[in-house]
Amino acid sequence: QRSFSTSKAISKESEESSAPKTGEKEAKVKEKKPGKSGKENLLDLLSAMKVDVTTKKKFQASKSQKSKEQPRVHPESMESATSMFQKATTEQQTQKESLSPELVAAASAVASSMPFKKSQTESELLQQLRKHESDTEVHRKGETNNIGNIIADMKVGKRPNARSPNRPANQIRFDDDGRGYTHDRGVVNEFDAVRRRKSLFTGKRLNIFPSMTDTTETEPKEVSVPSLWDIELAGQIAAVIKHLPRNGFEEMIQWTKDGKLWQYPINNEAGLEEESDVPFHEHVFLDSHLEDFPKQGPVCHFMELVINGLSKNPYLTVKQKIEHIEWFRGYFQQKEDVLKESEVY
Amino acid sequence: MAALMLSWVVKSGFEFLQTSFRTTSLAQRCTTGNVEQVRGYYVNWRMLRDVKRRQMAFEYANDRLRINAIRKNTILPKELQEVADKEIAAFPRDSCPVRIRNRCVMTSRPRGVKRRWRLSRIVFRHLADHNQMSGIQRAMW
Repeated sequence: QRSFSTSKAISKESEESSAPKTGEKEAKVKEKKPGKSGKENLLDLLSAMKVDVTTKKKFQASKSQKSKEQPRVHPESMESATSMFQKATTEQQTQKESLSPELVAAASAVASSMPFKKSQTESELLQQLRKHESDTEVHRKGETNNIGNIIADMKVGKRPNARSPNRPANQIRFDDDGRGYTHDRGVVNEFDAVRRRKSLFTGKRLNIFPSMTDTTETEPKEVSVPSLWDIELAGQIAAVIKHLPRNGFEEMIQWTKDGKLWQYPINNEAGLEEESDVPFHEHVFLDSHLEDFPKQGPVCHFMELVINGLSKNPYLTVKQKIEHIEWFRGYFQQKEDVLKESEVY
Repeated sequence: MAALMLSWVVKSGFEFLQTSFRTTSLAQRCTTGNVEQVRGYYVNWRMLRDVKRRQMAFEYANDRLRINAIRKNTILPKELQEVADKEIAAFPRDSCPVRIRNRCVMTSRPRGVKRRWRLSRIVFRHLADHNQMSGIQRAMW
């Protein structure tokens, strides 16, 4: 069943929980940009680097650093138009939503710890972080805004009314000839005026109905505890209104509303919406919870292993991870005497 | 006297079934509006016991995991591990997941159950032949 072992499934959570360096590694595999030797060297160095204590101190040490650079988009290095548009959209989005200054400072600290190509590594790290942010944003909002973003840069070429081939024939009307018909223009021309309006709400207001603000401003009503009669009445109304399902479809709809049936298309993170708001570093850097444990000895070693395993686990919420750690704290405090006998605590 | 006792036992047993393990015990209204009770029972007592074991295994899952993490360890001292051994042995017997048996959902058959459908082979065949299983077809090659 549940275990501390790492999981191989690459999910959104695992992307969030991995440190920027592993995200860069995955990105290298995914994007297949033309090889940059500096980047490969960077990856080798990062994999050889020790993660936990030193880098964290550097994160915390350097708070106010240089500002982030704008990501450069190289047209010749793009392999497809869609990736170029995606780059453009990420640029747009990053101009609106900036990374938190701590992440920026951390990225600049890591880059400065690299021996060469500092500015390039820093910009690449920031790019990866922004890509993570934009990916999680897109994932959260669903696919709703994607097309709008992708075609935001495209210019729509509007063709003028392409009915000119009909015009020469239209000029001759057969009404007067006695045949009694004109050239059938169809209903399209009537809708032309309607279609030329850009949207529903342009045009002069008629002021037939009173506006929303006047009618909907009521004082907040005092809601007292509903009495049993109110509850009974509400139940009766609900029972009258609720129609028994007439067919299998309505039955399935009712079950979905009740929660008995999954929602399709299947969302893997169905019950976990608030969990996606938790930033990834709270999943990965769990050292701060280890303060009440002894600093040396087998207990410390054991807890470090526990932390390591928990940081790699994409299936638990942060709350659950903290609960695990707290249980261990309580357990070791309980068994203090046993541990003191073996001179460990 | 004995009959009374028997009926009391039976009643309390069914009450136990209904109160603690409600299957579909919502009062529903039929089309005329009268309230009817919808009673559901598990297929047999063995299925009920399996349900109880599953619930208890879920309850104790975290504790078992943590104590096993202490036991299966080469770092912590052996005295602590022995204490942990005794602790996990003190847990109720139904809390270990090994006792769960994947029974058929319809007939509670313990053997011949396909995991994907949670049905025994007989029920599976019955439903598939009557076209109740989506995407299942008789194999022929």
